[in-house]
Amino acid sequence: MDDYLVSVLANIGMFSFIALSAYLLLLTGEISFGQQAFFAIGAYASGIATALWGLPFALALLIGAAAGGIAAGLVGLLTLRTRGLYFAMATLAFAELVRLGLQQWVYVRKIEGEPVGPNGVDGFRGIRYVFENNIAPAEFLLIIAGLLVFVLAAFAVAERGRLGSMLRLVGADPLLAESQGIDVKAVKVAAAAAAGAVAALGGCLFAHLNTFVEPRNFDIMLGVHSLAYGLIGGLGTAFGPILGVLIDVGLLESVRVFQGYRMIVFGGLVALLLVFMPRGILDETRLRWLAARLRRAPQHHAQA
Amino acid sequence: MLRLERVTRRFGGIEAVKELDVEVPPGARLGLIGPNGSGKTTVLNLISGVVALDEGAIFWNGARIDGLPTHRFARLGVARTFQNLRLVPHMTVRENVWLAQHSLPGANALRRGTEAEIARRARVDELLAELGLEAWRDAPVAALPLPQQRRVELARALAREPALLLLDEPAGGMTPGETHAMRTLIARLVPPAVTLIVVEHKLDLVAELCPRVAVLDFGRKIAEGAPDDVLRDRKVMEIYFGRSFPSPAKSGGG
Repeated sequence: MDDYLVSVLANIGMFSFIALSAYLLLLTGEISFGQQAFFAIGAYASGIATALWGLPFALALLIGAAAGGIAAGLVGLLTLRTRGLYFAMATLAFAELVRLGLQQWVYVRKIEGEPVGPNGVDGFRGIRYVFENNIAPAEFLLIIAGLLVFVLAAFAVAERGRLGSMLRLVGADPLLAESQGIDVKAVKVAAAAAAGAVAALGGCLFAHLNTFVEPRNFDIMLGVHSLAYGLIGGLGTAFGPILGVLIDVGLLESVRVFQGYRMIVFGGLVALLLVFMPRGILDETRLRWLAARLRRAPQHHAQA
Repeated sequence: MLRLERVTRRFGGIEAVKELDVEVPPGARLGLIGPNGSGKTTVLNLISGVVALDEGAIFWNGARIDGLPTHRFARLGVARTFQNLRLVPHMTVRENVWLAQHSLPGANALRRGTEAEIARRARVDELLAELGLEAWRDAPVAALPLPQQRRVELARALAREPALLLLDEPAGGMTPGETHAMRTLIARLVPPAVTLIVVEHKLDLVAELCPRVAVLDFGRKIAEGAPDDVLRDRKVMEIYFGRSFPSPAKSGGG
Protein backbone atom coordinates (compact mmCIF):
# COMPACT_ATOMS: atom_id res chain seq x y z
CA MET A 1 0.00 0.00 0.00
CA ASP A 2 1.16 3.52 -0.79
CA ASP A 3 2.87 5.12 2.23
CA TYR A 4 0.85 8.32 1.90
CA LEU A 5 -2.40 6.41 1.82
CA VAL A 6 -1.35 4.41 4.87
CA SER A 7 -0.58 7.57 6.80
CA VAL A 8 -3.89 9.18 5.80
CA LEU A 9 -5.80 6.08 6.86
CA ALA A 10 -3.87 5.91 10.13
CA ASN A 11 -4.75 9.54 10.83
CA ILE A 12 -8.40 8.89 10.06
CA GLY A 13 -8.31 5.94 12.45
CA MET A 14 -6.60 7.81 15.28
CA PHE A 15 -8.78 10.89 15.09
CA SER A 16 -11.86 8.67 14.98
CA PHE A 17 -11.20 7.80 18.62
CA ILE A 18 -11.24 11.39 19.83
CA ALA A 19 -14.24 12.11 17.59
CA LEU A 20 -16.11 9.18 19.16
CA SER A 21 -15.23 10.42 22.63
CA ALA A 22 -16.70 13.87 21.92
CA TYR A 23 -19.73 12.18 20.30
CA LEU A 24 -20.39 10.06 23.39
CA LEU A 25 -20.61 13.23 25.49
CA LEU A 26 -22.76 14.99 22.88
CA LEU A 27 -25.24 12.11 23.19
CA THR A 28 -25.65 12.91 26.88
CA GLY A 29 -26.15 16.59 26.05
CA GLU A 30 -22.72 17.73 27.18
CA ILE A 31 -20.26 19.71 25.09
CA SER A 32 -16.59 19.10 25.80
CA PHE A 33 -13.92 21.41 24.43
CA GLY A 34 -11.30 19.38 26.23
CA GLN A 35 -11.14 15.85 24.85
CA GLN A 36 -7.62 16.67 23.58
CA ALA A 37 -6.52 16.57 27.24
CA PHE A 38 -7.38 12.88 27.50
CA PHE A 39 -5.85 12.22 24.07
CA ALA A 40 -2.67 13.84 25.49
CA ILE A 41 -2.85 11.88 28.74
CA GLY A 42 -3.15 8.66 26.74
CA ALA A 43 -0.22 9.65 24.52
CA TYR A 44 2.09 10.53 27.41
CA ALA A 45 1.04 7.70 29.74
CA SER A 46 1.42 4.99 27.09
CA GLY A 47 4.68 6.53 25.87
CA ILE A 48 6.09 6.42 29.38
CA ALA A 49 4.89 2.83 29.75
CA THR A 50 6.73 1.55 26.68
CA ALA A 51 9.69 3.93 26.34
CA LEU A 52 10.63 4.43 29.99
CA TRP A 53 9.26 1.39 31.75
CA GLY A 54 9.80 -1.08 28.92
CA LEU A 55 6.26 -2.47 29.10
CA PRO A 56 4.59 -4.19 26.13
CA PHE A 57 2.32 -2.13 23.89
CA ALA A 58 -0.89 -3.91 24.93
CA LEU A 59 -0.26 -3.03 28.56
CA ALA A 60 0.63 0.55 27.56
CA LEU A 61 -2.76 0.81 25.82
CA LEU A 62 -4.48 -0.31 29.00
CA ILE A 63 -2.50 2.12 31.14
CA GLY A 64 -3.15 4.99 28.73
CA ALA A 65 -6.89 4.28 28.51
CA ALA A 66 -7.17 3.89 32.28
CA ALA A 67 -5.29 7.15 32.90
CA GLY A 68 -7.54 9.00 30.44
CA GLY A 69 -10.68 7.40 31.87
CA ILE A 70 -9.80 8.18 35.48
CA ALA A 71 -8.83 11.79 34.70
CA ALA A 72 -12.02 12.34 32.70
CA GLY A 73 -14.14 10.68 35.39
CA LEU A 74 -12.69 13.00 38.02
CA VAL A 75 -13.23 16.10 35.88
CA GLY A 76 -16.80 14.92 35.28
CA LEU A 77 -17.42 14.19 38.94
CA LEU A 78 -16.36 17.72 39.88
CA THR A 79 -18.08 19.62 37.08
CA LEU A 80 -21.16 17.69 35.92
CA ARG A 81 -23.35 19.01 38.71
CA THR A 82 -25.31 21.39 36.61
CA ARG A 83 -26.42 21.55 33.03
CA GLY A 84 -25.31 24.24 30.66
CA LEU A 85 -21.95 25.59 29.68
CA TYR A 86 -20.30 24.75 32.97
CA PHE A 87 -18.88 21.45 31.75
CA ALA A 88 -17.78 22.97 28.43
CA MET A 89 -15.86 25.69 30.24
CA ALA A 90 -14.38 23.28 32.76
CA THR A 91 -13.16 20.83 30.11
CA LEU A 92 -11.58 23.67 28.14
CA ALA A 93 -9.83 24.94 31.27
CA PHE A 94 -8.71 21.44 32.21
CA ALA A 95 -7.29 20.82 28.72
CA GLU A 96 -5.28 24.03 28.86
CA LEU A 97 -4.10 23.05 32.34
CA VAL A 98 -2.89 19.70 31.00
CA ARG A 99 -1.19 21.29 27.99
CA LEU A 100 0.57 23.93 30.11
CA GLY A 101 1.43 21.30 32.69
CA LEU A 102 3.05 19.15 30.03
CA GLN A 103 5.08 22.16 28.91
CA GLN A 104 6.58 22.27 32.40
CA TRP A 105 6.89 18.58 33.06
CA VAL A 106 10.32 16.97 32.76
CA TYR A 107 10.72 13.25 33.37
CA VAL A 108 13.70 12.23 31.26
CA ARG A 109 15.98 9.23 31.62
CA LYS A 110 19.00 8.19 29.60
CA ILE A 111 18.27 5.00 27.75
CA GLU A 112 21.18 3.65 25.74
CA GLY A 113 22.81 7.06 25.95
CA GLU A 114 19.76 8.88 24.55
CA PRO A 115 17.50 11.12 26.67
CA VAL A 116 13.97 9.69 26.62
CA GLY A 117 10.79 10.97 28.24
CA PRO A 118 8.60 14.06 28.56
CA ASN A 119 10.84 17.10 28.37
CA GLY A 120 8.65 20.18 28.74
CA VAL A 121 8.05 22.26 25.61
CA ASP A 122 10.56 20.14 23.71
CA GLY A 123 8.12 17.30 23.87
CA PHE A 124 8.43 13.59 24.42
CA ARG A 125 10.97 12.00 22.08
CA GLY A 126 11.96 8.40 21.60
CA ILE A 127 8.66 6.52 21.77
CA ARG A 128 10.30 3.89 19.59
CA TYR A 129 8.30 0.79 20.40
CA VAL A 130 6.91 0.40 16.89
CA PHE A 131 10.30 0.99 15.33
CA GLU A 132 12.17 -1.33 17.71
CA ASN A 133 9.70 -4.15 17.21
CA ASN A 134 9.80 -3.86 13.43
CA ILE A 135 6.10 -3.14 13.12
CA ALA A 136 5.50 -1.92 9.56
CA PRO A 137 3.18 1.08 9.05
CA ALA A 138 0.62 -1.16 7.36
CA GLU A 139 0.72 -3.52 10.34
CA PHE A 140 0.23 -0.64 12.76
CA LEU A 141 -2.68 0.47 10.61
CA LEU A 142 -4.22 -2.95 11.25
CA ILE A 143 -3.79 -2.44 15.01
CA ILE A 144 -5.54 0.93 14.73
CA ALA A 145 -8.34 -0.56 12.63
CA GLY A 146 -8.74 -3.50 15.02
CA LEU A 147 -9.06 -1.25 18.05
CA LEU A 148 -11.45 1.05 16.22
CA VAL A 149 -13.65 -1.90 15.25
CA PHE A 150 -13.61 -3.00 18.88
CA VAL A 151 -14.71 0.44 20.10
CA LEU A 152 -17.35 0.74 17.36
CA ALA A 153 -18.67 -2.70 18.29
CA ALA A 154 -19.01 -1.52 21.90
CA PHE A 155 -20.96 1.51 20.66
CA ALA A 156 -23.16 -0.74 18.51
CA VAL A 157 -23.97 -3.04 21.44
CA ALA A 158 -24.82 -0.04 23.64
CA GLU A 159 -26.92 1.45 20.85
CA ARG A 160 -28.98 -1.72 20.44
CA GLY A 161 -29.54 -2.11 24.16
CA ARG A 162 -31.06 0.19 26.75
CA LEU A 163 -27.74 1.92 27.41
CA GLY A 164 -27.78 3.89 24.15
CA SER A 165 -31.37 4.94 24.65
CA MET A 166 -30.55 5.94 28.24
CA LEU A 167 -27.69 8.16 27.07
CA ARG A 168 -29.90 9.80 24.44
CA LEU A 169 -32.71 10.29 26.93
CA VAL A 170 -30.32 11.98 29.36
CA GLY A 171 -29.15 14.21 26.52
CA ALA A 172 -32.63 15.02 25.24
CA ASP A 173 -34.39 15.74 28.54
CA PRO A 174 -32.56 15.29 31.86
CA LEU A 175 -35.67 15.99 33.93
CA LEU A 176 -37.63 13.35 32.06
CA ALA A 177 -34.72 10.93 32.53
CA GLU A 178 -34.73 11.58 36.27
CA SER A 179 -38.47 11.01 36.42
CA GLN A 180 -37.89 7.63 34.75
CA GLY A 181 -35.60 6.67 37.63
CA ILE A 182 -32.32 7.43 35.88
CA ASP A 183 -29.53 9.02 37.92
CA VAL A 184 -28.55 11.63 35.34
CA LYS A 185 -25.35 12.72 37.03
CA ALA A 186 -24.09 9.15 37.40
CA VAL A 187 -24.82 8.45 33.73
CA LYS A 188 -23.00 11.61 32.65
CA VAL A 189 -19.96 10.94 34.83
CA ALA A 190 -19.75 7.36 33.55
CA ALA A 191 -20.06 8.61 29.96
CA ALA A 192 -17.34 11.21 30.59
CA ALA A 193 -15.01 8.53 31.98
CA ALA A 194 -15.67 6.18 29.06
CA ALA A 195 -15.18 9.06 26.62
CA GLY A 196 -11.88 9.92 28.32
CA ALA A 197 -10.69 6.33 27.92
CA VAL A 198 -11.66 6.25 24.24
CA ALA A 199 -9.87 9.56 23.53
CA ALA A 200 -6.83 8.27 25.42
CA LEU A 201 -6.72 5.15 23.23
CA GLY A 202 -6.41 7.43 20.21
CA GLY A 203 -3.61 9.27 22.00
CA CYS A 204 -1.74 6.00 22.67
CA LEU A 205 -1.83 5.15 18.96
CA PHE A 206 -0.87 8.71 17.96
CA ALA A 207 2.21 8.73 20.21
CA HIS A 208 3.42 5.33 19.05
CA LEU A 209 2.92 5.98 15.35
CA ASN A 210 4.71 9.34 15.45
CA THR A 211 7.40 8.31 18.02
CA PHE A 212 7.33 11.93 19.15
CA VAL A 213 4.67 14.10 20.76
CA GLU A 214 4.79 17.62 22.11
CA PRO A 215 2.31 19.67 24.13
CA ARG A 216 1.24 21.78 21.17
CA ASN A 217 -0.14 18.68 19.41
CA PHE A 218 -2.94 18.84 21.96
CA ASP A 219 -4.18 22.40 21.64
CA ILE A 220 -7.74 23.66 21.56
CA MET A 221 -8.05 23.17 17.78
CA LEU A 222 -7.88 19.41 18.25
CA GLY A 223 -10.74 19.61 20.74
CA VAL A 224 -12.84 21.85 18.50
CA HIS A 225 -12.32 19.53 15.54
CA SER A 226 -13.23 16.43 17.50
CA LEU A 227 -16.43 18.12 18.64
CA ALA A 228 -17.23 19.20 15.07
CA TYR A 229 -16.79 15.67 13.66
CA GLY A 230 -19.90 14.39 15.41
CA LEU A 231 -21.88 17.54 14.61
CA ILE A 232 -20.99 17.22 10.90
CA GLY A 233 -21.21 13.46 10.49
CA GLY A 234 -24.33 13.12 12.60
CA LEU A 235 -25.45 12.22 16.09
CA GLY A 236 -27.73 9.36 15.08
CA THR A 237 -25.03 6.69 15.03
CA ALA A 238 -21.38 6.16 16.00
CA PHE A 239 -20.60 6.15 12.29
CA GLY A 240 -21.55 9.83 12.23
CA PRO A 241 -18.35 11.12 13.87
CA ILE A 242 -16.32 8.70 11.70
CA LEU A 243 -17.95 10.25 8.64
CA GLY A 244 -16.96 13.65 10.03
CA VAL A 245 -13.34 12.53 10.32
CA LEU A 246 -13.46 11.10 6.79
CA ILE A 247 -14.67 14.42 5.42
CA ASP A 248 -12.10 16.47 7.32
CA VAL A 249 -8.97 14.32 7.50
CA GLY A 250 -9.67 12.15 4.47
CA LEU A 251 -10.82 14.89 2.14
CA LEU A 252 -10.00 18.41 3.25
CA GLU A 253 -6.62 17.68 4.81
CA SER A 254 -5.35 15.07 2.40
CA VAL A 255 -6.64 15.91 -1.06
CA ARG A 256 -4.45 18.42 -2.83
CA VAL A 257 -7.15 20.70 -4.26
CA PHE A 258 -8.42 21.50 -0.77
CA GLN A 259 -5.01 22.21 0.71
CA GLY A 260 -4.76 25.70 2.09
CA TYR A 261 -8.55 25.98 2.11
CA ARG A 262 -9.15 23.30 4.74
CA MET A 263 -10.13 25.55 7.62
CA ILE A 264 -12.28 27.76 5.40
CA VAL A 265 -14.21 24.84 3.92
CA PHE A 266 -14.42 23.05 7.28
CA GLY A 267 -15.67 26.13 9.12
CA GLY A 268 -18.21 26.84 6.41
CA LEU A 269 -19.38 23.24 6.48
CA VAL A 270 -19.91 23.36 10.25
CA ALA A 271 -21.87 26.60 9.98
CA LEU A 272 -24.05 25.33 7.13
CA LEU A 273 -24.81 22.05 8.84
CA LEU A 274 -25.68 23.72 12.14
CA VAL A 275 -28.32 25.69 10.26
CA PHE A 276 -29.69 23.02 7.93
CA MET A 277 -28.88 19.76 9.73
CA PRO A 278 -28.48 20.58 13.43
CA ARG A 279 -27.92 16.94 14.38
CA GLY A 280 -25.53 16.30 11.48
CA ILE A 281 -25.73 14.32 8.26
CA LEU A 282 -26.52 10.92 9.79
CA ASP A 283 -29.15 12.09 12.27
CA GLU A 284 -31.90 9.96 13.79
CA THR A 285 -34.53 10.84 11.19
CA ARG A 286 -32.36 10.14 8.15
CA LEU A 287 -31.12 6.91 9.73
CA ARG A 288 -34.68 5.70 10.29
CA TRP A 289 -35.47 6.53 6.68
CA LEU A 290 -32.34 4.69 5.50
CA ALA A 291 -33.17 1.68 7.65
CA ALA A 292 -36.70 1.58 6.25
CA ARG A 293 -35.34 1.76 2.70
CA LEU A 294 -32.89 -1.05 3.36
CA ARG A 295 -35.57 -3.25 4.94
CA ARG A 296 -37.94 -2.62 2.08
CA ALA A 297 -35.48 -3.05 -0.76
CA PRO A 298 -35.43 -6.88 -0.86
CA GLN A 299 -39.25 -7.00 -0.83
CA HIS A 300 -39.55 -4.87 -3.97
CA HIS A 301 -41.37 -2.03 -2.26
CA ALA A 302 -44.07 -4.34 -1.00
CA GLN A 303 -45.18 -1.87 1.63
CA ALA A 304 -44.43 1.33 -0.20
CA MET B 1 -50.11 5.34 51.60
CA LEU B 2 -49.12 8.85 50.53
CA ARG B 3 -49.13 11.61 53.14
CA LEU B 4 -48.31 15.28 52.75
CA GLU B 5 -47.87 17.14 56.01
CA ARG B 6 -48.15 20.92 56.07
CA VAL B 7 -46.28 21.17 52.78
CA THR B 8 -45.31 24.67 51.66
CA ARG B 9 -43.52 25.66 48.49
CA ARG B 10 -42.69 29.22 47.50
CA PHE B 11 -41.57 30.62 44.17
CA GLY B 12 -40.03 33.99 44.84
CA GLY B 13 -42.50 35.72 47.11
CA ILE B 14 -45.48 33.64 45.99
CA GLU B 15 -46.68 30.68 48.02
CA ALA B 16 -47.58 28.20 45.29
CA VAL B 17 -48.56 25.59 47.87
CA LYS B 18 -49.36 26.55 51.45
CA GLU B 19 -49.52 24.23 54.46
CA LEU B 20 -51.09 21.47 52.47
CA ASP B 21 -52.21 18.29 54.22
CA VAL B 22 -53.22 15.40 51.97
CA GLU B 23 -53.60 11.70 52.67
CA VAL B 24 -54.16 9.12 49.95
CA PRO B 25 -54.58 5.52 51.13
CA PRO B 26 -53.12 2.68 49.02
CA GLY B 27 -55.16 2.12 45.88
CA ALA B 28 -57.25 5.24 46.45
CA ARG B 29 -57.95 7.76 43.70
CA LEU B 30 -57.84 11.45 44.38
CA GLY B 31 -58.78 14.23 42.00
CA LEU B 32 -57.02 17.56 42.39
CA ILE B 33 -58.95 20.52 41.02
CA GLY B 34 -58.74 24.27 41.22
CA PRO B 35 -58.40 27.32 39.00
CA ASN B 36 -55.31 28.14 36.96
CA GLY B 37 -52.35 28.91 39.18
CA SER B 38 -53.90 27.29 42.24
CA GLY B 39 -50.87 25.05 42.72
CA LYS B 40 -52.11 21.72 41.36
CA THR B 41 -49.13 21.04 39.13
CA THR B 42 -46.77 22.17 41.89
CA VAL B 43 -48.30 19.53 44.14
CA LEU B 44 -47.56 16.86 41.51
CA ASN B 45 -44.05 18.26 41.09
CA LEU B 46 -43.53 17.98 44.85
CA ILE B 47 -44.86 14.42 45.05
CA SER B 48 -42.71 13.32 42.09
CA GLY B 49 -39.60 15.04 43.46
CA VAL B 50 -39.29 17.41 40.52
CA VAL B 51 -39.31 20.42 42.84
CA ALA B 52 -38.26 20.48 46.49
CA LEU B 53 -40.52 21.68 49.27
CA ASP B 54 -39.69 24.58 51.55
CA GLU B 55 -41.56 23.37 54.63
CA GLY B 56 -43.40 20.26 55.71
CA ALA B 57 -42.85 16.62 54.87
CA ILE B 58 -43.92 13.97 52.35
CA PHE B 59 -44.25 10.34 53.41
CA TRP B 60 -44.64 7.37 51.09
CA ASN B 61 -45.43 4.04 52.72
CA GLY B 62 -44.29 5.42 56.07
CA ALA B 63 -40.86 6.63 54.87
CA ARG B 64 -40.06 10.28 54.46
CA ILE B 65 -39.18 10.95 50.82
CA ASP B 66 -38.96 14.73 50.46
CA GLY B 67 -35.38 15.80 49.83
CA LEU B 68 -34.48 12.65 47.90
CA PRO B 69 -33.10 13.10 44.37
CA THR B 70 -35.81 12.98 41.68
CA HIS B 71 -34.75 9.61 40.29
CA ARG B 72 -35.19 8.04 43.72
CA PHE B 73 -38.87 9.06 43.76
CA ALA B 74 -39.28 7.23 40.46
CA ARG B 75 -37.51 4.16 41.79
CA LEU B 76 -39.86 4.11 44.77
CA GLY B 77 -42.72 3.59 42.35
CA VAL B 78 -43.86 7.13 41.56
CA ALA B 79 -44.69 7.64 37.88
CA ARG B 80 -46.22 10.68 36.26
CA THR B 81 -47.31 12.36 33.06
CA PHE B 82 -46.61 15.97 32.22
CA GLN B 83 -49.15 18.66 31.47
CA ASN B 84 -46.91 20.14 28.76
CA LEU B 85 -45.89 16.70 27.41
CA ARG B 86 -42.30 15.55 27.79
CA LEU B 87 -41.63 13.17 24.95
CA VAL B 88 -38.35 12.64 23.13
CA PRO B 89 -39.33 13.95 19.68
CA HIS B 90 -36.74 12.13 17.58
CA MET B 91 -37.49 8.75 19.15
CA THR B 92 -40.27 6.49 17.93
CA VAL B 93 -43.49 6.00 19.87
CA ARG B 94 -42.31 2.57 20.94
CA GLU B 95 -38.94 3.80 22.18
CA ASN B 96 -40.63 6.62 24.11
CA VAL B 97 -42.53 3.97 26.07
CA TRP B 98 -39.66 1.47 26.22
CA LEU B 99 -37.41 4.04 27.91
CA ALA B 100 -39.71 4.04 30.94
CA GLN B 101 -38.37 0.60 31.83
CA HIS B 102 -34.67 1.51 31.75
CA SER B 103 -34.36 1.71 35.51
CA LEU B 104 -36.78 -1.06 36.48
CA PRO B 105 -35.18 -3.86 38.47
CA GLY B 106 -33.53 -6.42 36.22
CA ALA B 107 -33.48 -4.17 33.16
CA ASN B 108 -30.47 -5.12 31.05
CA ALA B 109 -28.46 -2.17 29.75
CA LEU B 110 -26.75 -4.08 26.96
CA ARG B 111 -28.63 -7.24 26.03
CA ARG B 112 -31.98 -7.42 24.27
CA GLY B 113 -32.32 -11.16 24.12
CA THR B 114 -32.84 -12.05 27.77
CA GLU B 115 -36.19 -13.47 28.78
CA ALA B 116 -36.96 -10.49 31.00
CA GLU B 117 -36.13 -8.03 28.22
CA ILE B 118 -38.29 -9.88 25.69
CA ALA B 119 -41.17 -9.86 28.18
CA ARG B 120 -40.71 -6.14 28.82
CA ARG B 121 -40.74 -5.33 25.10
CA ALA B 122 -43.88 -7.41 24.74
CA ARG B 123 -45.41 -5.37 27.57
CA VAL B 124 -44.62 -2.15 25.69
CA ASP B 125 -46.35 -3.45 22.57
CA GLU B 126 -49.30 -4.60 24.67
CA LEU B 127 -49.68 -1.13 26.20
CA LEU B 128 -49.46 0.48 22.77
CA ALA B 129 -52.17 -1.86 21.49
CA GLU B 130 -54.42 -1.18 24.49
CA LEU B 131 -54.04 2.55 23.92
CA GLY B 132 -54.78 2.27 20.23
CA LEU B 133 -51.29 3.34 19.23
CA GLU B 134 -50.06 0.26 17.39
CA ALA B 135 -50.41 1.92 13.99
CA TRP B 136 -48.04 4.67 15.17
CA ARG B 137 -45.57 2.32 16.85
CA ASP B 138 -42.55 3.02 14.64
CA ALA B 139 -43.37 6.63 13.83
CA PRO B 140 -41.37 9.42 15.46
CA VAL B 141 -43.48 10.61 18.36
CA ALA B 142 -43.37 14.20 17.10
CA ALA B 143 -45.53 13.12 14.13
CA LEU B 144 -48.51 12.26 16.36
CA PRO B 145 -51.52 14.49 17.02
CA LEU B 146 -51.83 15.83 20.57
CA PRO B 147 -54.40 13.33 21.90
CA GLN B 148 -52.19 10.45 20.76
CA GLN B 149 -49.14 12.09 22.33
CA ARG B 150 -51.04 12.25 25.62
CA ARG B 151 -51.71 8.54 25.27
CA VAL B 152 -48.00 7.90 24.75
CA GLU B 153 -47.37 9.74 28.01
CA LEU B 154 -49.92 7.52 29.75
CA ALA B 155 -48.37 4.40 28.21
CA ARG B 156 -44.93 5.49 29.39
CA ALA B 157 -46.15 6.10 32.93
CA LEU B 158 -47.91 2.71 33.01
CA ALA B 159 -44.81 0.98 31.63
CA ARG B 160 -42.99 1.99 34.81
CA GLU B 161 -45.29 -0.40 36.73
CA PRO B 162 -46.02 2.37 39.24
CA ALA B 163 -47.41 2.11 42.74
CA LEU B 164 -48.35 5.80 42.70
CA LEU B 165 -49.47 7.33 39.42
CA LEU B 166 -49.76 11.09 38.94
CA LEU B 167 -51.65 12.32 35.87
CA ASP B 168 -51.27 16.01 35.05
CA GLU B 169 -54.19 17.07 32.84
CA PRO B 170 -54.45 13.79 30.93
CA ALA B 171 -57.19 15.29 28.74
CA GLY B 172 -55.69 18.77 28.40
CA GLY B 173 -56.49 20.32 25.02
CA MET B 174 -58.82 17.48 24.01
CA THR B 175 -62.33 17.59 22.54
CA PRO B 176 -65.20 16.13 24.60
CA GLY B 177 -65.06 12.94 22.53
CA GLU B 178 -61.34 12.53 23.02
CA THR B 179 -61.73 13.33 26.72
CA HIS B 180 -64.33 10.61 27.06
CA ALA B 181 -62.03 8.11 25.33
CA MET B 182 -59.16 9.10 27.61
CA ARG B 183 -61.28 8.68 30.72
CA THR B 184 -62.32 5.21 29.60
CA LEU B 185 -58.70 4.26 28.96
CA ILE B 186 -57.55 5.48 32.37
CA ALA B 187 -60.38 3.64 34.10
CA ARG B 188 -59.56 0.44 32.23
CA LEU B 189 -55.76 0.48 32.26
CA VAL B 190 -54.79 1.75 35.70
CA PRO B 191 -54.70 -1.34 37.94
CA PRO B 192 -56.91 -1.09 41.06
CA ALA B 193 -53.91 -1.47 43.39
CA VAL B 194 -52.28 1.67 42.00
CA THR B 195 -52.75 4.87 43.99
CA LEU B 196 -53.87 7.55 41.56
CA ILE B 197 -53.86 11.34 41.67
CA VAL B 198 -55.42 13.20 38.75
CA VAL B 199 -55.04 16.91 38.12
CA GLU B 200 -57.58 18.14 35.61
CA HIS B 201 -59.68 21.12 34.66
CA LYS B 202 -62.45 18.94 33.27
CA LEU B 203 -64.49 18.31 36.37
CA ASP B 204 -66.64 15.59 34.84
CA LEU B 205 -63.53 13.52 34.07
CA VAL B 206 -62.27 13.93 37.64
CA ALA B 207 -65.68 13.20 39.12
CA GLU B 208 -66.03 9.97 37.17
CA LEU B 209 -62.53 8.69 37.88
CA CYS B 210 -62.05 9.75 41.48
CA PRO B 211 -64.34 9.04 44.44
CA ARG B 212 -62.60 11.87 46.29
CA VAL B 213 -61.50 15.28 45.14
CA ALA B 214 -59.52 18.05 46.80
CA VAL B 215 -59.90 21.67 45.72
CA LEU B 216 -56.97 24.05 45.73
CA ASP B 217 -57.13 27.81 45.61
CA PHE B 218 -54.03 29.99 45.89
CA GLY B 219 -52.06 26.98 47.10
CA ARG B 220 -54.42 26.16 49.96
CA LYS B 221 -56.80 23.25 50.18
CA ILE B 222 -60.27 24.76 50.54
CA ALA B 223 -62.36 21.59 50.32
CA GLU B 224 -62.06 17.83 50.13
CA GLY B 225 -64.60 15.06 49.82
CA ALA B 226 -66.88 13.27 47.39
CA PRO B 227 -67.15 15.14 44.06
CA ASP B 228 -70.85 15.97 44.42
CA ASP B 229 -70.42 17.37 47.93
CA VAL B 230 -67.31 19.32 47.08
CA LEU B 231 -68.84 20.88 44.00
CA ARG B 232 -71.80 22.06 46.09
CA ASP B 233 -69.45 23.64 48.60
CA ARG B 234 -69.96 27.36 48.82
CA LYS B 235 -66.27 28.29 48.64
CA VAL B 236 -65.74 26.03 45.65
CA MET B 237 -68.69 27.54 43.81
CA GLU B 238 -67.34 30.96 44.50
CA ILE B 239 -63.99 30.24 42.90
CA TYR B 240 -65.51 28.44 39.95
CA PHE B 241 -68.63 30.48 39.30
CA GLY B 242 -68.00 33.81 40.96
CA ARG B 243 -68.72 35.40 44.32
CA SER B 244 -72.45 35.89 44.29
CA PHE B 245 -73.66 32.69 42.74
CA PRO B 246 -77.17 32.30 44.13
CA SER B 247 -78.05 28.59 44.28
CA PRO B 248 -76.25 25.23 44.03
CA ALA B 249 -75.24 24.35 40.50
CA LYS B 250 -75.49 20.84 39.19
CA SER B 251 -72.29 18.95 39.56
CA GLY B 252 -70.01 18.22 36.66
CA GLY B 253 -70.06 21.74 35.28
CA GLY B 254 -67.11 23.94 34.76
